[in-house]
Amino acid sequence: MSSLLLKTLTKKEEIDRIIRDTIDEVLVLRFGRCTDTVCLQHDDILAKSVTDVSKFAKVALVDVDSEDVQVYVKYFDITWFPSTVFFFNAHHLKLDSGTADHTKWVGAFHIKQDFIDVVEAIYRGAMKGKMIVQCPVPPERIPKYQLLYKDV
Amino acid sequence: MATLEDSFLADLDELSDNEAEMDENDGDVGNEEEDVDMDMADLETLNYDDLDIVSKLQKSQRYIDIMQKVEEALAKDSDGAEKGTVLEDDPEYKLIVDCNQLSVDIENEIAIVHNFIRDKYKLKFQELESLVHHPIDYARVVKKIGNETDITLVDLGDLLPSAIIMGISVTSLTTKGSPLPEDVLQKVLGACDRALDLDSARKKVLDFVESKMGSIAPNLSAIVGSAVAAKLVGTAGGVSALAKMPACNVQVLGHKRKNLAGFSSTSQSRVGYLEQTEILQSTPPGLRARASRLVAAKSTLAARVDATRGDMAGINGRALREEIRKKIEKWQEPPPARQPKPLPVPDSEPKKRRGGRRLRKMKERYAVTDMRKMANRMRFGTPEESSLGAGLGEGYGMLGQAGSNRLRVSSVPSKLKLNAKVAKKLKERQYTGGATTSGLTSSLAFTPVQGIELCNPQQALGLGSGTQSTYFSESGTFSKLKKI
Repeated sequence: MSSLLLKTLTKKEEIDRIIRDTIDEVLVLRFGRCTDTVCLQHDDILAKSVTDVSKFAKVALVDVDSEDVQVYVKYFDITWFPSTVFFFNAHHLKLDSGTADHTKWVGAFHIKQDFIDVVEAIYRGAMKGKMIVQCPVPPERIPKYQLLYKDV
Repeated sequence: MATLEDSFLADLDELSDNEAEMDENDGDVGNEEEDVDMDMADLETLNYDDLDIVSKLQKSQRYIDIMQKVEEALAKDSDGAEKGTVLEDDPEYKLIVDCNQLSVDIENEIAIVHNFIRDKYKLKFQELESLVHHPIDYARVVKKIGNETDITLVDLGDLLPSAIIMGISVTSLTTKGSPLPEDVLQKVLGACDRALDLDSARKKVLDFVESKMGSIAPNLSAIVGSAVAAKLVGTAGGVSALAKMPACNVQVLGHKRKNLAGFSSTSQSRVGYLEQTEILQSTPPGLRARASRLVAAKSTLAARVDATRGDMAGINGRALREEIRKKIEKWQEPPPARQPKPLPVPDSEPKKRRGGRRLRKMKERYAVTDMRKMANRMRFGTPEESSLGAGLGEGYGMLGQAGSNRLRVSSVPSKLKLNAKVAKKLKERQYTGGATTSGLTSSLAFTPVQGIELCNPQQALGLGSGTQSTYFSESGTFSKLKKI
């Protein structure tokens, strides 16, 4: 239901366009399926915070089932859905949340305030020129996962 | 109008003084005011029997004249408004002003007659007065009942609501009154007729005034209605007089001063005749004060238009009324719904450092005090005093030094726990320098071998004999003496 409020991208050009066109705003891209339950929970939180964060962030959903988008899925190495990638002025920002993978946020946020805090931290870091920021979410609310290296 | 009211109030104050007047003024018919004086006195003494002593209005010349003119005018129904003439010269206008005063007089007269009827009828049916409050209704009921003992035979259906009729029937069964003697009954019925006559006369006068108000002050009547407009003009003493008043005065025209001694006047709402207007009656009570101010202001404007006879069609008045209505509606509409506000961009708003008196006062609580400043400084050449003496404890700096006109330092014992070294030194000082050693301390020690032995108490405490003093101790000497 909440994906009705958020834009869903299915084509590569759309993703390119939106990354290029968001200027001075954090771009939040969620990679996932709209049928997955965890994705739905994650989307719900995103939808609720869109208006609050609208002055300095933009949120978009990427449907991982379309073929165009597989390029990006492979590039960002997304295996668990939902995964959230943050951009600022076409730069990909990294988030150190104590997990193995800093390039994205894996899983759903527990509360709305967590998401807003993360976006704010990314914004502040980006405005200062940093490429990686510390995650302000306390560790009990960060979804834990194990990174299995395959073919390495 | 005002003079009459004032005379009433004055009369109530000096009621007993007027008894003497009663005999003198018996024959006087013409003077309205004196009649009223007498009537108040009569109420007090309850010494009257004849209605004519009580109510003389109907016989007065003034009353007869004005009623005659009113009848003529009503019959004539003239509507030729002379636009050219000044308002005050118009004979109809004078009649209106007179009618206003007369209507108030009639009202008072009705009250007096009501009292008369009530006093006489008390012997028959005492409780009726508390059941039926309105004087005219009371008069009608009394007329209908007459001397009847069984109220159920009397049909009061068209006079009163059924609840009150029921109340009357019930109370009549238990009333302790007795039927009146014939002459008293006649007097009472005569008084009732008089009251009803006065009431109908008043209605006639008011109707006349209302019908004429539209041609005299159309704009004002468009806003407040012709009855209230007539009252306002009457109290002010003319349309031009009303126009000359500031709006705040117009607001309180007709305000009944009810504040007895000791009651605050802020709890009363300061509205006069305007309270009876349709506009104010239909506004919710919370907005009444604001609305009354608005209506007073606009009606003053309308009165000014009418005084100069600028707009005889009343267009201005209707426009003002519409304006008033719209404003009152606007006040009553609910506030707009709250929109969810997005969060501000982080770090975009610089931190607002606030200054001002309040902040300065707050900072004063943590500022360095003068006393502390003096303690921080030291005099050159003289060693400073300290709280524990000899350089231990807190230094007092310039405090307490001769020559400075600052505070004496009182020996308030500090609540801080001293560390071991300082505590030991303090104890040593106490023993060597203190003049107040307890008289019960003994330097004698009892040992099993040598018996009584004099020993140094300081040794027992481990203080030594003063050789273990600090660098800066004033009682101490060189710590190490080495023979060269």
